[in-house]
Amino acid sequence: MKNLLLLIFILSISSAVFGQYNSSERQLLSLQSMASGLTIGGYGEITYNDPDSGVSEIDVQRLVMLFAYKFDDRVSFITEIEFEHVKEVYVEQAFLNYGVSDNFNLRGGLMLVPMGIVNEYHEPTTYNGVERPSLNNKLVPTTWREMGLGVYGRINSASIRYQAYVMNGFISYNGEYKLKGTNGLRSGRQKGAESVGSNANFASRIDYYGLLGLKLGLSFYNGKTQTTDKNIIGSQVGLSMFGFDARYVKNRFSARSEYISASLSDTDKYNLASGKDLGSKMSGYYIEGAFNLLPSSAKQKLDAFVRYEDFDTHAEVAGNLTKNDSFHRKETTFGFSYHLADGAVFKIDWQSKGTAVLDSESKGQFNMGIGVFF
Amino acid sequence: MELLRKINWSFVLLCFVVMLCSSFTNSKSILKKVKKEISKVFVIEDFDLDPVIIEQNKNLFSDFSNNRLLKISIENKLLGYAYLGTAPSKTETFEYLVLFDNNFIIKKAKVLLYRESWGGEIGSNRWLKQFVQKDTTHEFKYRENISAISGATISVKSMTNAINQLLSSLSFLIQKKIL
Repeated sequence: MKNLLLLIFILSISSAVFGQYNSSERQLLSLQSMASGLTIGGYGEITYNDPDSGVSEIDVQRLVMLFAYKFDDRVSFITEIEFEHVKEVYVEQAFLNYGVSDNFNLRGGLMLVPMGIVNEYHEPTTYNGVERPSLNNKLVPTTWREMGLGVYGRINSASIRYQAYVMNGFISYNGEYKLKGTNGLRSGRQKGAESVGSNANFASRIDYYGLLGLKLGLSFYNGKTQTTDKNIIGSQVGLSMFGFDARYVKNRFSARSEYISASLSDTDKYNLASGKDLGSKMSGYYIEGAFNLLPSSAKQKLDAFVRYEDFDTHAEVAGNLTKNDSFHRKETTFGFSYHLADGAVFKIDWQSKGTAVLDSESKGQFNMGIGVFF
Repeated sequence: MELLRKINWSFVLLCFVVMLCSSFTNSKSILKKVKKEISKVFVIEDFDLDPVIIEQNKNLFSDFSNNRLLKISIENKLLGYAYLGTAPSKTETFEYLVLFDNNFIIKKAKVLLYRESWGGEIGSNRWLKQFVQKDTTHEFKYRENISAISGATISVKSMTNAINQLLSSLSFLIQKKIL
């Protein structure tokens, strides 16, 4: 009833404002009649990991419910509520979007940091492999989200999407020191939960899709970590992260790659204060190719893929710290993604996880998983 | 670092200024966009737009109600047709426009209004060019003669499907001499 009244109201306004148009034209205007309301979606992953050495694990790794409420054609609120390992609850995204014009939006709230491919597109049907690429765990701490405010939009004539946000950053000190060598910034994610904001950070990204089948992305993040006590020398580090990524699809073949490089300043002071082993540079890449074994006219898709990753969270170290070669990972993943329908996938893969440690042996792992996205 | 903080705050301020300014300027209506596009594609200033009334039947896969098909003419000389469609994206719908010449060959495909945050890449002029110059007997096939766009699969399939349905519907109408 409310919607109907709203519609009548809009129509009466449009006929008043657009009185110069004829009846057919006026009817066209009703096409843009505001549709408002709630949409529900979600995604989930159920995984089985079986390492060569160690205990295997069966887990409802993630179950995420997406709620979007549209107030009108310009204003909408999007939130994702995540259940991790069944029992942990997080809010993964919660932001208000204000569409200023067709190619310019303002956004504020808890948002994904636009860095690389998988941090933004992390639903299980959008990437190959049961687990996300390891680079997107240790280098880009997916799912990396923070509180922020900024702009988002597309320019169709140039085939460009852009994003730029002022965001809150990682926490390095809140009574204890959070960042360390093995996974860099990951433990410093604040996830919007009573987060400490001592320094503003800046995140931006440009996507270019003007060449058929190809999508290129450039991401840039700059700022400083957060601390509860600025007087402690070494409780903060500076961070500058750069990412370049590409995705290509042609007929049954697809490929993607992400390159990430992060420079951290003052890690010598941080390590001295904390006794940790944070690197001053972290960098690496992965490259992946896939081929659909089913004809492209088929409704289902069976992608055979192989991915190679090479990244180092101790690419460089500062001060007295010595490089830890076990932080330089070299991993190969080979497997299949069987898309039963758009949005439902069964995955299976084998991984060989090695490091740059001399004469070290790679560890094998078998994975199986079910993923849905609706 | 101080400089960066200053830049950040001026950025926030800029956002608000833009928001305030923009709230006074209305976004363009669909109809205005349609007219602008016709002017551009047909290189004409003044023209008539008249609805083509078509009764819906089961051979028509596209929606022809609400004057979605329009005749473009100048002084009773037929120049072409415009079709205004609505198609689904993941959780929303988007509005698109297809312009035909008087022989029903596609002159332009355009996304007029894309509502959802994801999948808007289908608005890319370069991607939409793939539909141009084809007649109603043509069939577009995803990942064969229509390129995929990473991160926009659902909308790419939806737009491809919508245009195929439109071409087959028009083909039927031409065959039955309704058009």
